[in-house]
Amino acid sequence: MSEREEIRGCVVLTNLHYAVDDHTWAMINDDGTVTVGMTDVAQNLAGAVLHAKIKKVGAVRAKGKPVATVESSKWVGPVKTPVSGEIIERNEAVAAEAQILNRSPYKKGWLVKLQPSNLQAEIAELKTGDAAVAAYRVKIEKDGLKACEHLDGFED
Amino acid sequence: MPIRLVDAGSVPYLRSQTVYHGVAWARTNGTPDTIILACPMEPYVCIGLHQEVDKEVDLNYCAQNDIPVVRREVGGGAVYLDRNQIFTQWIFHPQRLPLRVEKRFEFFADPLVATYKALGIQACFRPINDIQVNGKKIGGTGAGAIGNSEVLVGNFLFDFDFTEMAKVLKVPNEQFRGKVHQSLQQYMTTMKRELGAAPSHGMVKELYVQACERVLGDELVVGKFTDVELRAMEAFDAKFTSADWLHQKGGLQRAGVKIHNDVWVYDATRQAKGGSIQMTIRKRNNQIDDISIFPDFKLQPEHSVQALENALLGVELSSDNVRRTIEDVYRQLDIQSPGVQLNDWVQAILSINATQAQG
Repeated sequence: MSEREEIRGCVVLTNLHYAVDDHTWAMINDDGTVTVGMTDVAQNLAGAVLHAKIKKVGAVRAKGKPVATVESSKWVGPVKTPVSGEIIERNEAVAAEAQILNRSPYKKGWLVKLQPSNLQAEIAELKTGDAAVAAYRVKIEKDGLKACEHLDGFED
Repeated sequence: MPIRLVDAGSVPYLRSQTVYHGVAWARTNGTPDTIILACPMEPYVCIGLHQEVDKEVDLNYCAQNDIPVVRREVGGGAVYLDRNQIFTQWIFHPQRLPLRVEKRFEFFADPLVATYKALGIQACFRPINDIQVNGKKIGGTGAGAIGNSEVLVGNFLFDFDFTEMAKVLKVPNEQFRGKVHQSLQQYMTTMKRELGAAPSHGMVKELYVQACERVLGDELVVGKFTDVELRAMEAFDAKFTSADWLHQKGGLQRAGVKIHNDVWVYDATRQAKGGSIQMTIRKRNNQIDDISIFPDFKLQPEHSVQALENALLGVELSSDNVRRTIEDVYRQLDIQSPGVQLNDWVQAILSINATQAQG
């Protein structure tokens, strides 16, 4: 299995854990914290992101509650955390320049780092590896997403 | 499940916003997709979710004239709203809507456009989210996710107070306000303007409901709000009137004022060695549609400013074109502007392209 799979051009990194319906990902770090972001499909559906408002460090968010709201020229909506926890760090680069979310949703465009409060149970509910690719394939086909598009230098 | 139609009628200004927020937040799997029609009783200003109110709205003017200001949970810019508008608010499950937001706007605009056409107004959808009549905007639309719902909002513009719209905005100077006012007059229209008189609200609603049923392929069933939804609206009433909510900091600042999708008005300023160049520029489809230059230094000959303004009209906003145009005028008139170089003019004008990337 490759670490990077594409479904109709939409990138899925197989080492991440996905809440496919919410288009968010979680990565478990070596120190037990969790990094959270939005997926390639999410940035495609949002379009050019103009602004991201990220919750403050210290905020405690339950799974499914927003850790950020993003606004594009067309739409505004929440980014819901796939795991519960306290925000211990937020990506100030994204807060300052939101289009990083379009250029690098998985690397430079992470949104928050959490100290998880119920990781073992919640991570099991997310999709990773082959299961994530399969789930995203079903989701993309069911929703009728024809293709993902990327800016030059995507995830360089 | 059939679509619920709730005609909220004339409602207090605050409720004209909180009504759809409440329904969106309260939505469960058993809630029908809902279309709300509402008309605010009083005029007010409504700002986008991520805007910073102090930077966008002339709060002194609003306070002096008893015009309340409300922050919504949908994006976009500051708008002046009053009883001459009917709001159309869709609170839907995402599955009933097209996946792509661009397509959602088109879908949402379809019955609005059909209604205008049935009234004899040749409206059309203009991507991304405008409804226009002969290049003039007659309505805008917005979209967002609130709670577990996807929300689309728009309006019917019966009449519009262009003067008040220009007055409620925070602007860098009065020349800019004047240009915004003139641009609104030039690039917006209303049902009253198009038809000579505004039609009745009842007729427009009836035509709109018919158009919605055709587009959605489903009957709209007249319904009421549930107790849970009403409580959610009351919670939003409290949230939206709190100073903390209204005065949130660190928001999205749009560099210019959007008149419609293709037309923006900008303030451009550059400090050169010989003085300050201040300009108000209206951009239309990446061309200079209008420009007023206010230098705080003398140019010789005296009619140089007028000549530059005339020459720049219609010029595409590219470095080469702007530079060539200014160079030609400088050469033809042998313009003398000590301490102000050709590059200062070019940089000042092109700064509006850089600023638009933010908003």
